[in-house]
Amino acid sequence: MGNTGFEKKITLLRPNDIKPTFFKKIAAMGIKDMITFKNVNKWFGKHHVLKEINLNVEPGEVLVVCGPSGSGKSTLLRCINRLESLQSGEIIIDGIKVHGRETNITKLRAEIGFVFQQFNLYPHMTAIENITIAPIKVRKLKKEVARKLGQEILDKVGLGDKAGSYPSQLSGGQQQRVAIARGLCMQPKIMLFDEPTSSLDPEMINEVLDVIRNLANEGMTMIVVTHEMGFAREAANRVAFIDEGRLVEIAPPEKFFKNPKNERTRLFLSKILAR
Amino acid sequence: MWGYYLEQLIGSLPLFLKGLGITAAVSILSLVGGTIIGFFLGVIRAGGIKPVRFLIGGWVDLIRGTPFLVQLFIVFFIFPDVGIHLDALPAAVLSLTNLSACFICEIVAGGILAVPAGQKEAAAASGLSAYQQMRYLVMPQAMPTILPPLVGQYVLLIKDSSVISVIGVVDITRVGWLTVQRIPEGLMVFGLVGILYFIICYPIIRFSNLLEKRMKFGKYRF
Ligand SMILES: Nc1ncnc2c1ncn2[C@@H]1O[C@H](COP(=O)(O)OP(=O)(O)OP(=O)(O)O)[C@@H](O)[C@H]1O
Ligand SMILES: [Mg+2]
Repeated sequence: MGNTGFEKKITLLRPNDIKPTFFKKIAAMGIKDMITFKNVNKWFGKHHVLKEINLNVEPGEVLVVCGPSGSGKSTLLRCINRLESLQSGEIIIDGIKVHGRETNITKLRAEIGFVFQQFNLYPHMTAIENITIAPIKVRKLKKEVARKLGQEILDKVGLGDKAGSYPSQLSGGQQQRVAIARGLCMQPKIMLFDEPTSSLDPEMINEVLDVIRNLANEGMTMIVVTHEMGFAREAANRVAFIDEGRLVEIAPPEKFFKNPKNERTRLFLSKILAR
Repeated sequence: MWGYYLEQLIGSLPLFLKGLGITAAVSILSLVGGTIIGFFLGVIRAGGIKPVRFLIGGWVDLIRGTPFLVQLFIVFFIFPDVGIHLDALPAAVLSLTNLSACFICEIVAGGILAVPAGQKEAAAASGLSAYQQMRYLVMPQAMPTILPPLVGQYVLLIKDSSVISVIGVVDITRVGWLTVQRIPEGLMVFGLVGILYFIICYPIIRFSNLLEKRMKFGKYRF
């Protein structure tokens, strides 16, 4: 492998996808991080849930995060779009302080797609309505424009024929793909996934992972919390292990799986790979 | 004798219709006011900052935990002591509006809290403002829970409005009191009073039942 996510992004972008800002970024030199954690600490009351997290994610990079239950993976993700507050440190997205006082949080959130373990689709709306509500209300797209975009994205996740279906009429895997489409429909800079396949029946896991894999190939910047280590191996640029709120280990997959430095990572991997 | 009284009663029908008008007017005013204020309070109670939530909760419990008659007396007889002079009719509307706002607040807050938290989070995560989350996602999902008890509350409000007769508002009940002094046939007079209330309330009850069925089997799927 050896590719940084950034190089990958260059090779995979089609020429007309490259925006002027892209070159400006290169001109500014040094690869600017898309997501930066600086000494992040998070408490729930007396419970210290995230401890001194430092982390950078480059544009186009795919970071897989794993760790035992309760270790703080969801909290880490939820801090990135300020669904949770921080007690100290800061998170910077594309140059903007997420928890800054002056930060327009709704504007920032519009740039970050979030996919939940439980899908959280809107039950009173059809698939196409689910994915176009935010583009219409937040991005102020015309309804027809949003629908057209939405239909393209549904096609892309393999659900072109389900635009008119309600969530209750879809399988778990289909619902999760609609949820991913909902994030993509905002044309975000970043996609965050919180255990996107762990409430799915085994036979539906791959259809969802395939969609995420395609996004990785297109150069989307992503953090994926998952225990699907096969997916991590092929799609991730780096894999991180979190334990009791600490970022214990972070390394490219070949190193992470073959030769983990930390004893706890080893223990965790042996448990999870034995399953 | 009965025939004579009946004739008299028919003679005072215009007075009854006037009473009906007052009851309807007072009910509609406080029903509309109570709904608007109740929704407003309910939304804050379900999602506002703690001290405000606590304040509203306290007020609602106080109003729900005391007899309406006492509240009405306070507005009509005690408010003047602190310089607020209200005629019987405004005092009645004010008290009834407050009462219904408090009950509706609880209904609305309950409906909102019954919407899974993940719905709001998903909406927030895609950049919708707090108002947009409420308007497009939370409220549409809360409405099936809110509507049936809300309409039921309207029936209670209309019946509770009979209490305002004691401070001299000439509503249906008051007309009954006045009439029975001329026509000492209580059963007949208050029978008519009851029938008039029933005529207003029955369609609403039917509507409430209909809504309940609709909401159960309607387009809201979970
Ligand atoms: N809203 C909250 N209030 C209080 N404690 C919380 C809250 N949310 C999470 N926690 C606690 O914070 C810790 C980390 O939770 P988190 O959900 O981030 O873990 P996780 O790694 O995602 O676990 P899982 O694999 O089970 O999803 C847990 O101990 C949890 O009990
Ligand atoms: Mg979690």
